[in-house]
Amino acid sequence: MEKILLKNIENPNSADIAEYMKTGGYQSLPKALGMQPKEIIEEVKKAGLRGRGGAGFPVAMKWTFASADPKFPKYLLCNADEGEPGTFKDRPILEKNPHLLIEGMTISGFALRAEYGYIYLRGEYPAAKDILNKAIAQAYEKGFLGDNVAGKGFKFHLAVHQGAGAYICGEETALIESLEGDKGQPRIKPPFPVNVGAFAKPTVVNNVETLSNLPYLIGTGGEAYAKIGSPECPGPKIYCVSGHVEKPGVYELPMGTNLKDIIYSHCGGIKGGKKLKAVIPGGISTPILPPDKIDCAMDFVNMPKHGSMLGSGAVIVMDESVCLVKVCYRALKFFEHESCGKCTPCREGTGWLRKVLGRIENGQGMESDIDLLQSIAGNMLGKTFCPLGDGAASVVQNFIKHFRPEFEAHIKNKACSTG
Amino acid sequence: MIKVTINGKEIELEKAVTVLDAARSAGIKIPTLCYHEQLEKYGGCRLCLVEVEKMPRLQTACTLMVTDGMVVRTETETIANVRRSVLEFLLINHPLDCPYCDKAGECELQDLVEKYGARAGRFTEEKRKVPESLEDPVLVRNMERCVVCTRCVRMCEGVQGAAALGVISRGGHSHIEPFSGGKFECEYCGNCVSVCPVGAIMSRLHRHSYRPWQLVSETETICPYCGVGCTLVAQVRDDVIKRVVPRIGTPVNNGLLCSRGRFGYEFVGSKERLTSPLIRKKGVLEESTWEEAISLVAKRLGEIKAKHGSDAISGIASPRCTNEDNYVFQKFMRVTLGTNNIDSTARTGYAGAQAFIENIFGQGSTANLIPGLANSDAVLVAGGDPTAVNPILGLQIRACARRGGSILTIGHVKGLRHYSPVELRPALFRETLALEGIVSALKNKKGLPGSNQILEAKLKDINTTPQEAAGACGVTEKDYAAFVDRLSGAATPAIVIGKEIVQSSGGNYKLFLLAAINYLVNGRIYLLSERANEQGLLDMGCAPDLLPGYRPLAYAEFRKRYETAWKTAISERPGLSIFGMIDAAKQGSLKAMYVMGENPVYNLPNSRDVEAALQKVDFLVVQDIFLSETAKLADVVFPALSWSEKSGTFTNMERRIQRVRKAVSREGMEDWRIIAEIARNMASKFHYTGPEEVFAEICKVSPLYRDLTYEEIEKGQSIYPYKGEPLRSTLEGISVDKGTGAVAASRFYLRLERPLFHSGTLSRKAAALVNIYSGALARISAADAVSLGVKDGDVVRVSTKIGSLELPVAIDGAVEQSVVMLTNNFEGKGAFGLAEYAVDPVTGAPVIDCNAVMIEKVER
Repeated sequence: MEKILLKNIENPNSADIAEYMKTGGYQSLPKALGMQPKEIIEEVKKAGLRGRGGAGFPVAMKWTFASADPKFPKYLLCNADEGEPGTFKDRPILEKNPHLLIEGMTISGFALRAEYGYIYLRGEYPAAKDILNKAIAQAYEKGFLGDNVAGKGFKFHLAVHQGAGAYICGEETALIESLEGDKGQPRIKPPFPVNVGAFAKPTVVNNVETLSNLPYLIGTGGEAYAKIGSPECPGPKIYCVSGHVEKPGVYELPMGTNLKDIIYSHCGGIKGGKKLKAVIPGGISTPILPPDKIDCAMDFVNMPKHGSMLGSGAVIVMDESVCLVKVCYRALKFFEHESCGKCTPCREGTGWLRKVLGRIENGQGMESDIDLLQSIAGNMLGKTFCPLGDGAASVVQNFIKHFRPEFEAHIKNKACSTG
Repeated sequence: MIKVTINGKEIELEKAVTVLDAARSAGIKIPTLCYHEQLEKYGGCRLCLVEVEKMPRLQTACTLMVTDGMVVRTETETIANVRRSVLEFLLINHPLDCPYCDKAGECELQDLVEKYGARAGRFTEEKRKVPESLEDPVLVRNMERCVVCTRCVRMCEGVQGAAALGVISRGGHSHIEPFSGGKFECEYCGNCVSVCPVGAIMSRLHRHSYRPWQLVSETETICPYCGVGCTLVAQVRDDVIKRVVPRIGTPVNNGLLCSRGRFGYEFVGSKERLTSPLIRKKGVLEESTWEEAISLVAKRLGEIKAKHGSDAISGIASPRCTNEDNYVFQKFMRVTLGTNNIDSTARTGYAGAQAFIENIFGQGSTANLIPGLANSDAVLVAGGDPTAVNPILGLQIRACARRGGSILTIGHVKGLRHYSPVELRPALFRETLALEGIVSALKNKKGLPGSNQILEAKLKDINTTPQEAAGACGVTEKDYAAFVDRLSGAATPAIVIGKEIVQSSGGNYKLFLLAAINYLVNGRIYLLSERANEQGLLDMGCAPDLLPGYRPLAYAEFRKRYETAWKTAISERPGLSIFGMIDAAKQGSLKAMYVMGENPVYNLPNSRDVEAALQKVDFLVVQDIFLSETAKLADVVFPALSWSEKSGTFTNMERRIQRVRKAVSREGMEDWRIIAEIARNMASKFHYTGPEEVFAEICKVSPLYRDLTYEEIEKGQSIYPYKGEPLRSTLEGISVDKGTGAVAASRFYLRLERPLFHSGTLSRKAAALVNIYSGALARISAADAVSLGVKDGDVVRVSTKIGSLELPVAIDGAVEQSVVMLTNNFEGKGAFGLAEYAVDPVTGAPVIDCNAVMIEKVER
């Protein structure tokens, strides 16, 4: 498959507007500006584009809701708060292909009749901030941003807003709160951001990867685009693979590529020929899979059938040397640290889970602790304000579901068998 | 009509409400913790999760709106588990220190665990440890107990508008802290204390001194401080007020209080309270019996009346005393002593301003509902900071801003600065130009309505150009026009007028201009009132030219009505104003003065002059709860009961009559009873057994209060006009005196600070308020501090022609250049010791804005 999102990134100057334009950049924008906003949304619908942030929500539907709201101005926010452990799929776009995102946002802004866009950038991506700001300045200079985009009378302004290092700000309403200058915590829904979002105006929040699809999608047309990858959720997908494989990294492949193929053919198999122990397919909050369950197509529709989720497409591969109790403990340490504190079950539950896991890991676990973990997780799941708490609870539940004997051994032997 | 089914019960609703409200309307209980009816929805605690058919996840009842056909279940096994588990989560880090915690007994968490919680928790690790914070003198924080419901934060930010505290840190480390650190630097309203469900933020005033179940009584009464008239509940144990709290659903303040109302009650129990009558013997005040003091006063007043005539005696009434006290007092002056020489400190602004406005727009035109401010689409504020003078009224202006209304301020209004006001800040002594400019612009924009020819005739000559007006305010014409546009575009504007305008040179003309603006925009006027019963005492006839019910003395028919009622002749000579009394005392024509619950030696400008005048009076009687500056000069001092020790009524600035109720007992007599005793000793028939009887007489004789009774007041809202008839105004003319506008040049001028935390001289005996704001300061602008070479805390000598004070400097962004702001609240450090005044020829208010001041650094 030709690279669409990671096109040209081997070029050391790929972030420069001249290089981008040499390889066909900013050619979809004038085309889009010649269309009606409605027509663009129609193309996106035909393309079957789904949000790449993790939930896989149909993009055209979200855009239609925001467009239908009579309030102005509207805002387009790019969610670049890529913070889930294992996830680094947006980073190459932000750092190597920023103009793809800018062009994608400008097209999207036009489709939504939004005049202002913000890139909410992860606090820990300082390099990307400079690169994006430079790219935005170049785009202004060339007239691809500003009061009269590409001379077509469309006004679109774009700015980078850097987060302060909170994972929760990847949740769209928390992102909006943070952007407005408040503490990053999720808001009550409804109303949804498409109606009452940033500064109480209709707002669309889309992921970096999602928005970066727009130049190609408009250039080639929705129908042609829909032929890439899975029929139910087409398009290219960036998988970022980390852990015990020979060739970890970012891979742009058709949506729905088999997980086994990603690990064994694209990434060269398990490092050092060791035995595979487990795979987390879509970032730390997606359910862990044992080796016999990884023969599955990696897309939004298929993964739930196999007991997990596509998530962000962040594949974490673990070989036989890994202690899963420790991984689980480490994951909960992350969730405890990142819990925003708004709702009771997540604020208190993540810390409690971490403490119980910690004592098991330290060889001080009790037999009843596995039931206790299940009970705490059960008391969190479905009761928290936002999916962060659900994610934490389901990590514990799925680790125990697939690897209970390892937890039992830890408690019984008061030590780790993997050493 | 919306139909929902909750637990099988069908509920019909007029409009969409939350599931919680729908359930409550049907008597179905859903536990809540972060929910609070006064606050924005939050949905954080998860206690109110319910099952809703066709929704995959459990839903928070406090946030979910009902839709037609919705089916909700609140009492399933799942929900019982959720409640149990949420409470278990909450108790993980909550110390079980209930035996020690002051909240125990009224703690929402305790009650919830009792009802819905598990018998025991399963958490065995160490709990979060946070030391108790005693860094603040008034509020104590115990963050171990905090359940992060954020009710305090939402109250502070969304209702009070102070935004003084927030959730610091994240997740399990979340805790509430004032942004200023351990000590609060806020408005000290304590409304965070009201909404905290646990013992995390509490008042220090009653720390460890009682348990909620040990309260013997709760008395609903009216706040003794300002003219807003908030309802408060005094909670009492061992005949001592332990705590003052608001109640949701009361008029005016509806669950909110300000710093003075909530924390200012400690003066009641002060050890400095007077306990026995005092008589001056050989120059020294000595304790005496009541009988001796009463008969002495009766005898001396009788002698002076016989020798020098009735008008050689005068009385000063009290805006802190009840209507009953004031009614009996003025009757005593008019009937027993035979003079109209009765006035009060309402003369320093409120009385004259109200008379001026009512002359134009009719009686009662300043009696507008305070909560209505929040519904205005524009509020113009001139002459003071409502959030400091009348804090609960100020909150309504903030609410107006929050709802999208325009806030327009003339001068620097500190408490509204965070509400995007459109500001005009006229240069010193150039306010008139700014106001004339607005009148001129409105006239051109909107034209004259034609309904008031007398007023309009006076507007013809006001033609100030936008250039002149904008120039006076130091803004561009465009910005000036923007101010006027907001005002002229408003459909329901309100104009809030503070005392600074009334007490400034040309004050009556500025009032006229504000009235003209009000006329042109068809608005309504609010006059800020600094004392609890300032309005009431005027209603009672404590004015030299007014009989009870606001009936002018000048009209024979009104005099006749009262002569019939009181069975005695009433002098037709108008009495002396409070300033007239001081002048008469100085000249020696005033021989005796009777002061009830007032401290003119401190509370009137040029206080040393007032002191000298009162020293010249042959016989001075003072009734007070403390040995005030005035009482120290008296020949006889009566110890009075304070507001919390007696019953009666107050009338607030909306002219709402409200019941003041006795909360604690004390030996002694109410002010009216002392006066009635003296009157009886002077052969007047003052036979009242209690305040209700006094009120009955008021309602019998005053045409304004016809048929009102205590019972009637308690039943509902007694707001002006009452059942009786207000006096119809027949505007004969508007008297305006612009004055010369000449002011002696000076580097600095004296201005009065009216602080949020103090009021008159009562608050200085309230320990908590003194702890918050403990001493007099000289506030100056940063630029002036630089030119004077002083920094915060340096001591300066502030001098005028008549006196000087040494005070620490406070650099304050709210102070205009060339101004030094002083308070008149601290003993021996009152601004009025330095302020000369002239009396406004129309309103009778003292003009105090021309005092030239010298400031010099005191080298130590």
